[in-house]
Amino acid sequence: MHNRHLSPRKRALLSLGTGVALLAASGFIGELRNYQGAQVAVYLVAIASIILLTGYSGQISLGHGAIMALGGYGAALSFTLWNFPFEIALAFGVIVGTMGGFILGVAAARLSGPYLAGTTLALAVGLPSIADQFHVLGGEQGLNFDIGDPPHWVVRLEGNDFTQYKWFFWISTVVALIALWAITNLLHSSYGRNWRAGRNNAVAAGLAGINVARGKVLAFTVSSALASLAGALFALLLGLVTPTAFPLSLSFAIVTGAVLAGVGNLAGSIVGGVVLVAIPEISGALTTHLGDSQKVSANLPGLVMSALLILVVLFMPNGLRIRKFKRAKKTT
Amino acid sequence: MFIDTLLIGISSGAIYSLMALALVLVWRSTRVVNFAQSGQAVLSTYIGYEISVQTHNYWISLPLAILAGAILGSLVDLLFMRLLIGRAKSGPIAEIAPVIATLGLLGLIQSLIGLIWGNAFLHYASPLSGKGFTFGSHTIPFSPQNLFIVIASAAVLAIFGIVFKFTDLGLALRAASFQPEIAQLAGIRVSRVRNIGWSFAGAAGAVAGAAITPTSTLSPNSLDLLFVSGFIAAVIGGLDSLVGAVIGGLVLGIGFSFILQYIGGSVTFLVGFIILMVVLLIRPRGIFGHKVSRRA
Repeated sequence: MHNRHLSPRKRALLSLGTGVALLAASGFIGELRNYQGAQVAVYLVAIASIILLTGYSGQISLGHGAIMALGGYGAALSFTLWNFPFEIALAFGVIVGTMGGFILGVAAARLSGPYLAGTTLALAVGLPSIADQFHVLGGEQGLNFDIGDPPHWVVRLEGNDFTQYKWFFWISTVVALIALWAITNLLHSSYGRNWRAGRNNAVAAGLAGINVARGKVLAFTVSSALASLAGALFALLLGLVTPTAFPLSLSFAIVTGAVLAGVGNLAGSIVGGVVLVAIPEISGALTTHLGDSQKVSANLPGLVMSALLILVVLFMPNGLRIRKFKRAKKTT
Repeated sequence: MFIDTLLIGISSGAIYSLMALALVLVWRSTRVVNFAQSGQAVLSTYIGYEISVQTHNYWISLPLAILAGAILGSLVDLLFMRLLIGRAKSGPIAEIAPVIATLGLLGLIQSLIGLIWGNAFLHYASPLSGKGFTFGSHTIPFSPQNLFIVIASAAVLAIFGIVFKFTDLGLALRAASFQPEIAQLAGIRVSRVRNIGWSFAGAAGAVAGAAITPTSTLSPNSLDLLFVSGFIAAVIGGLDSLVGAVIGGLVLGIGFSFILQYIGGSVTFLVGFIILMVVLLIRPRGIFGHKVSRRA
């Protein structure tokens, strides 16, 4: 699964270099592309949470949209209620989501396959209704999470044409890179090895002294931390959270992204993130080409995404990576 | 009030039972939880809707929708599941491949419906009144359509019960799900029998969709929540027990109806999730499931 091993220092340098390059690039691309770049970064974190969960620990969740909602609501609540600065609000969202994920993870470790899928699906359907029950969560209107204009030091550094979307792009990119770097290190540590051992053969891993159940709970918790981070960033991009901002289709979309990326490969989450943002864009262009029909524009993205998902499951179980797929074929 | 709530609960419980039954039939035959079930059911309902628009007759559209559901179920097995089970045996996503693939199928069916009929809410009209029965001056929420739902579900359950208990086909279905290899050795064409199980499941889902839709509206996603309820009902019942699916559906339907009446509608699925968790953690094989735990 890991062909290329980079040393931790090289990984850190690579992340740093990518970050600087991306931030520099933000000045040369348009507003829309900046926003889409931020979306890619958010999806990337969400997809990474599924890849960690499914590819490395062998669990599945169709309810990570609900965990994202926990993160988003946690961030927005602390932002509006206690006037936390947005950095702290993001962190608070992650804390809320991680706690929720831990509770769910304790239960999830005892379930597997379709049972876990169905249970998390029920959570994704049921959880948003909590927002209606508590006045503090804002009901249907949701909660505001508008962080306002970029702070002075950024504007001074970058000039007056530094827009809010660029600022979103910066925040999301930096957060996503840090998250990706941290998770890569975690997966290369003994934790990551234990998860994979438990996934590949639970009995053998248990005999080797690995506490498989505890590993699963931990993996679910870490995955939830990532998902809630993505949810908090998602809310930041939207400027608010509502019960309908985290629909079932979001949960499905990030699982789709993870499968397209190849669930065993964390770096693939970049591919997944780009695909999730690109498909609506491409189908939008196609729709205009086909003569703007409302039916087509509303359904073409879903059609393309579902068709891709099925084709990948059937023919490219390692995800959209031609090279890897060929190699895997030779060895079998 | 109590009786009203109970009657409504039985009506929605009957629909959950049908959905749970569809899931259980597929699970027993293929060991797959078919997440596309709600998509198949809603497509059958759209076909019924289209026929009712053309013929202005609900009673013609209903059996044709059920037939469409059965054919659809059979096609999903033939064209899709066999390929999937043949291909995705190993590899990084072998364990989750059925879940992912059926989810993909769900998305595919729903987008196709959107392309054909659009995403607007449609009304699948039934000649039966949606207004409740009136006793003297008191009108209860239970309507003739609700009564039809209960009767249709009971009829489907009775037919399935007779087929499974008293016919050779039922025996073959049970044998093929209990021990596929031994059934094969005993001369049962397991893959054909399995296909019949899929078409039964598709028909059950179509009955659920075509019977419930006149009480609300029809859209590509309109049966998704029904699927979740059906799944919870099936797990309560044990996922491989047909009787369990029916009882699980009724228990859940009546429970949801009382929550709706006395607590509020928005928390029903949260309660459903909690029920699901409790059942899975305390009694993973469900109330009527077989001894061997099917968690793994």
